[in-house]
Amino acid sequence: MPAQLKAPGWYRAGAFILLGLAFCTGLVTLIRSLYGYTPLIDGEAITIVSMIGVPLFFLVGLGAFDYWFYWASGKDTRPEDHASHGAHSWRDYFKVNTDHKVIGIQYVCTTFFFMFIGGLMAMMVRAELAAPGSQFVDGQDYNSLFSVHASLLIFLFIVPVFAGLANYVLPLMIGAPDMAFPRLNALSFWMLPIAGTLMSISFLMPGGAFASGWTAYAPLSTTQPLGQMCFTIGVQFAGASSIATALNFLVTIITMRAPGMSFWRMPLLVWANFATSLLVVVATPFIAASQFFVLLDRSLGFHFFDATIGAGREGNVIMYQHVFWFYSHPAVYIMMLPGFGIVSEILSVKSRKPIFGYRMMAFSLLAIVLLGFTVWAHHMFVSGMQSWIRVPMMITTAIIAVPTGIKIFSWLGTMWKGVLHLDTPMLFCLGFLTMFTLGGISGVMLAMVPFDIHVSDTYFIVAHIHYVLFGGSLFTIFAGVYYWFPKMTGRMYSQRLGKIHFWATFIFFNATFAPMHVIGIQGMPRRVADYAEQFAGWNMAISVASFLLGLSTLLFLYNMVNSWRNGPEAGSNPYRALTLEWQVSSPPPIFNFDEIPTVVGGPYEYGVPGAQHAILGGRKPEPVAVGAVASAVSDADTETEES
Amino acid sequence: MEAASISTPPAHHEHHGPPEANKSSSVDAQTLGMLLFIISEIMVFGGFFTAYFFIRVVNGNPWPAEGEELPKIIAGFNTAVLLSSSLTMHWALEAAKHNNRKALKAGMLATLLLGSTFLVVQINEYVHLGFAPYDSAQASIFYGLTGLHGAHVFIGLTLLLFATIRAFRGHFSAEEHRGIEVPGIYWHFVDVMWVIVYASVYLL
Repeated sequence: MPAQLKAPGWYRAGAFILLGLAFCTGLVTLIRSLYGYTPLIDGEAITIVSMIGVPLFFLVGLGAFDYWFYWASGKDTRPEDHASHGAHSWRDYFKVNTDHKVIGIQYVCTTFFFMFIGGLMAMMVRAELAAPGSQFVDGQDYNSLFSVHASLLIFLFIVPVFAGLANYVLPLMIGAPDMAFPRLNALSFWMLPIAGTLMSISFLMPGGAFASGWTAYAPLSTTQPLGQMCFTIGVQFAGASSIATALNFLVTIITMRAPGMSFWRMPLLVWANFATSLLVVVATPFIAASQFFVLLDRSLGFHFFDATIGAGREGNVIMYQHVFWFYSHPAVYIMMLPGFGIVSEILSVKSRKPIFGYRMMAFSLLAIVLLGFTVWAHHMFVSGMQSWIRVPMMITTAIIAVPTGIKIFSWLGTMWKGVLHLDTPMLFCLGFLTMFTLGGISGVMLAMVPFDIHVSDTYFIVAHIHYVLFGGSLFTIFAGVYYWFPKMTGRMYSQRLGKIHFWATFIFFNATFAPMHVIGIQGMPRRVADYAEQFAGWNMAISVASFLLGLSTLLFLYNMVNSWRNGPEAGSNPYRALTLEWQVSSPPPIFNFDEIPTVVGGPYEYGVPGAQHAILGGRKPEPVAVGAVASAVSDADTETEES
Repeated sequence: MEAASISTPPAHHEHHGPPEANKSSSVDAQTLGMLLFIISEIMVFGGFFTAYFFIRVVNGNPWPAEGEELPKIIAGFNTAVLLSSSLTMHWALEAAKHNNRKALKAGMLATLLLGSTFLVVQINEYVHLGFAPYDSAQASIFYGLTGLHGAHVFIGLTLLLFATIRAFRGHFSAEEHRGIEVPGIYWHFVDVMWVIVYASVYLL
């Protein structure tokens, strides 16, 4: 056997994919022959089993399990040589790497790749909706387009991109050399491209891609063509990745903080990811369960949701929605809380002021975690569930706006009389504040049962979720990527292009989604390829605005790629921030710190005389890093003068 | 498993290794990770129990469905088998803590044997039940819950098999026995979960 096939990597992964296909085909055929089923070869069964089995073979081939196999075989423990740690060329980003910084960049690039695919589908949806009648796709294909759009952007972009950003900066922020379980971290990253590939290739399946929305309600999803299984199984991989990462974050935050870094000295991004990870660990298994039910119902003929097989032995359809939303409502906080953390970091640095109400910011995160589990059925007001559940759900939903409101006002308080630096990350934060507040207000409107019944399944819902997920989450993602770009690459992006990108995004975002409130209240249904003549004018305007919004992301792409290659050196701490990730070189040294720093104060003491966050001791390997220490100390001094 | 986290650099290291991470909690990272994993496992079971609740309580379907019967006695015997494997697991861990290699190996082997017996009896039960998952929603729930639990027994056995191999190859000592302890926690979880599954599916 050639050496290339023995060593972990893409050659071996390719070989293992073939091996996996052969194994799954053989397994299905063997079982069918044992049961005496005809025909012996069943393409659909083989495809479904392969969708589960082949990715596992791929991961083994790529080398994600090599160490564990070695461990399990019981041979002598090897001294850690850190061979798979850190990136020395671009090729290392395509390997199983245990460095949290490499994994963070892998995450961010992969998720943005899927954002562009998902965004392209949104463009196709808007092209179809530009005029009434059928343009160029039929009903089923249209349903596929918006289903894959939503699934990719939720499961492959917003949820994991936050995990990616936090992967990069969180260990640095708490003064840890890496995550607690670096190999698990690598494994959870590599499950993501698998999930994304499964969802994307569903267009190649007979019968087309899955078309039951990202919610995949039963019994629609249990009666759909094969493409539905791409969603069902893809979500399992994305969910497993999510849970493993969350567990990793929690253990890292609890056991690996630098000396002196008590919970009340942690930056709010760390708090936000702590809260998010709690949500993920507790809630995500529920979507796994719901998709297990769909998988079993559709492929093995179970009857979890089948209400038609006779009284006394029938399944329950509403049960799907309860199980699904028990995950997917907390999931909207999984998609928002890390963004809250990013905004807290940036607003404090860019206002040159301590964060307002630090403890309340942390407590409100935990309040959202707890309340997040009590509101799921507000997605089901018109589902036909017991009607009495609607009232408590309405009340809890209104209450959850309170901790969110605490955060909004604390951010305003942070900026109050601050010295505002209106650069790109700050602009995106301000855009987030306004857009997310609007999305929050329409959210409270939707919590009210009578109003919700009126606008259920209309474009008002589409407007609301895009105001919170695009105007909310995506704005914070842009802010975070711009903010930490100098740290990740060592280079500065173009502020001018960044600001143009912000204003283009902000204007066309509103031009796209604000009119949807209007046509929604007037009754235009969502998830339908055609619509009444009276909505033609607004829809044309929305489509044009959405194309411009799509184009504006190309500015971002150009700015990132070009600045990474040609941007000016950023220096270790271009924003004069106090948190630990800025006190090391850009990009940080391979093991983050030469010596673990000692934390002596809060992370946001901008403008407080004599305040210091941390002391970085030890000999520095490079002059850059020495400068970083010096600037960390002098930073506190300049802060004093500034205020 | 013990080397899965950042390792300590040797005092005189040739290459530049990572600095030793500060231990900010007295809880061991592997143990904490396993506990969190078990929380998420409990929630997976929670999803399946939600389905059980909806079909049995909300629908008000008879349990088990008409014409179906569950072998309480055999499953009860099986419960005893699984629970006793928790005792042997604990014995193995105590042996490791006291550097008693013979008892460690015997305890691990006994645990593996008892766990495998449970799985075999469970599969045998499936074969002789006389109803299939597609006969009724109750049957779907029955196979779903016991099958999910069986899958967890299988995972647990795999982890224990690794630990057993390592035990036979001379690993583990009074100082370093997390490789026994952590899969052991998982194994106890699998046992406790079975008691809940048995009680709600067979007995209630």
